[in-house]
Amino acid sequence: MKGTEVIFEDVSKFYGEVLGVNKVTLHIPPGITSLVGPNGSGKTTLMNLMTGLIHPGRGSITVLGLSPRDPEQLMRVTGYATQFDSAPRWATGMEFVSTGLTLYGYSPTEARDRAWQALEQVGLTEAAGRKVAGYSKGMRQRVRLAQAIAHDPQVLVLDEPLNGLDPLVRAETISLFRRYAAEGRHVILSSHVLQEVDLISDQVILIANGMIVAEGEIRGVRDEMSEHPSQFIIRCRDASRIASLLFCEDHVTEIKMNDDRLGLLVLTRNREEFSRALTRIALAGHVIDGVIPSDESVDALYEYLIGGGRA
Amino acid sequence: MTITKVQVQQAWTIARIEMRRAFLSKRGLWVYLLALFPAVAFFGHGLQMKFMEERWSRNGLTQARVVDSFTKGEKVDEILKRAPNPSFDHEWTNRREDEGDRDDKDRKTQPEEPQRRRAISYYDGQRVIDLRFTNGVLVEKHVRFFRDPTDDRRVFAVIFQFFYLRLAIFFGCLGIFMNLFRGEMLDKTLHFWFLTPVRREVLLAGKYLAGLVASTVIFGGGALLGYAAMLWPNTGVDAQAFIAAAGWSHAFWYAAAATLGCLGYGSVFLAAGLLLKNPIIPAAVILLWESINNFLPAALQKLSVLYYLQSLCPESALIDEQQPLLRLLLAPAAPASKSLAVLGLVLVTALVLWAASRAVTRIEINYSTE
Ligand SMILES: Nc1ncnc2c1ncn2[C@@H]1O[C@H](COP(=O)(O)OP(=O)(O)OP(=O)(O)O)[C@@H](O)[C@H]1O
Ligand SMILES: [Mg+2]
Repeated sequence: MKGTEVIFEDVSKFYGEVLGVNKVTLHIPPGITSLVGPNGSGKTTLMNLMTGLIHPGRGSITVLGLSPRDPEQLMRVTGYATQFDSAPRWATGMEFVSTGLTLYGYSPTEARDRAWQALEQVGLTEAAGRKVAGYSKGMRQRVRLAQAIAHDPQVLVLDEPLNGLDPLVRAETISLFRRYAAEGRHVILSSHVLQEVDLISDQVILIANGMIVAEGEIRGVRDEMSEHPSQFIIRCRDASRIASLLFCEDHVTEIKMNDDRLGLLVLTRNREEFSRALTRIALAGHVIDGVIPSDESVDALYEYLIGGGRA
Repeated sequence: MTITKVQVQQAWTIARIEMRRAFLSKRGLWVYLLALFPAVAFFGHGLQMKFMEERWSRNGLTQARVVDSFTKGEKVDEILKRAPNPSFDHEWTNRREDEGDRDDKDRKTQPEEPQRRRAISYYDGQRVIDLRFTNGVLVEKHVRFFRDPTDDRRVFAVIFQFFYLRLAIFFGCLGIFMNLFRGEMLDKTLHFWFLTPVRREVLLAGKYLAGLVASTVIFGGGALLGYAAMLWPNTGVDAQAFIAAAGWSHAFWYAAAATLGCLGYGSVFLAAGLLLKNPIIPAAVILLWESINNFLPAALQKLSVLYYLQSLCPESALIDEQQPLLRLLLAPAAPASKSLAVLGLVLVTALVLWAASRAVTRIEINYSTE
């Protein structure tokens, strides 16, 4: 029987004495699922477990009914963009994506075609002939995404895929996730910021200290969340100009300028409106180097979200 | 487990990709130096020989039959008539008596009479014949082989067994095969392989194949080059006869020993690279194991790579029988026959690879994300 879910049954993983994850039971249906938790909470551990890079100390895992110990089957339906930011030194973007494809049985030309399509989807065709080692952080993020989607997998596992992306690319990447989810596939991604993913996710799994804290649809809490002002740090060249533009938005409640005049701290009541406003500003030609949600204390968020009901 | 066609193709694809790394790794340049050392050394030696031969035969060769006919007591003129083109000719006058070792008394009684002395040497293409004359009469005749092909071959056998098998191939395979998995752990790139639809055992096979091809080309090639460089200056009839009779088979067995050395040591170091983090410790342990092996009971000896490799070498590296200690140190107790040696080595390799394939399915990516 071929399953349709990613299933963790009572899974624990220790690294020696260090807890990775503890007694995790999860049933992940198709759609966009976000794993959210602070640094060191076990997000990467869960993803490595479902792709067979590490093995559980106890419990069992299946991905669409397949065991992660069987890469021959599993990796045909799974694509994993890791958090490890390393690429073979010798490879260009094109080689990096197409080399793996030859192991799926594609001929060299087929592999190149598919790699090209994948690079197209992440907007990296221009840099395809350059060495990955010379890519920027965001480009490396994207080339790993291209590699994960190149063989058209049913289950996409993406570790912090939005990290380091500029707003435009971020929007494109999110629409790619939505496309995949709409086709009935799994898109499992991780983030340490809830605001970054709650709007795009069908399901959110909150994890802290290796344990699942909350799991389910986030829509119920979203309205409540939107009343809660969110903080963002914007990195940009012309901070005062962007500050004045943002000040015209009525969802923005407060703006503080950084001392170096290269950053802004913005409080907004509506993150959706806020991200639309930023896109407008970016499209108008103002350079925005990055947007970082600054409510990184997920602990505080948990308090807020689930009323301090942490186990 | 049945092996499918797809798996074979995957292993070969991996091998092709990994060969580039195995051949061209920047960390691995020294491997080439090790492999080429015998060839370079013998080539240098050969050049020197050629140079000296050129000097000896500048005045032409003298036939062996002629130089053999010289006998003590002959006059220098007769000799020069029969062999008019010596390679070397030097004359001087000695105030002292010929047999200068006589005691003082003797010397004092005799009046000092100058003696004409002369040294003439001939070269017959293989031997140098040194003749000494006193007052025009042949008093001494020394015959030495200018170059002894048997000597060269013995030196090659010694270098091959003690340098090439024990050190060059040992450390070369350590460099090449340990790097296959451990190097990728250090570079944090191993997970790319684990995320392809390839069984870990197939990945292991592909990587092993890449290392094997690279090390065989480097060390098998190095052995053949070295052997050729050793034979190259030996143009004499005996040497040609040897090459025709046994040269090819010896070259084959040296290359075979080098290749099987890569096969055996390669599997050992591949497994060690999977099981252990630090390469120094297994290298030291294995080196120790291989070197004390001759003292172990026969059953344990058969678990060493060197035991089989020594049995494959076509010529003994033992200098002579008069060094019992050396003999004890270096000789395998009971050399295996060649076919048994090959079989034994393949079995040892298969056993080690089987253990490695168990290890590779358990291996986890434990490098961190930062
Ligand atoms: N290879 C390892 N060896 C030892 N401990 C590890 C290892 N990998 C992870 N851990 C520990 O396991 C816990 C969970 O780590 P994990 O990498 O899964 O967190 P994460 O949620 O992905 O964090 P981040 O947001 O920083 O990526 C942490 O306490 C971490 O220190
Ligand atoms: Mg992580």
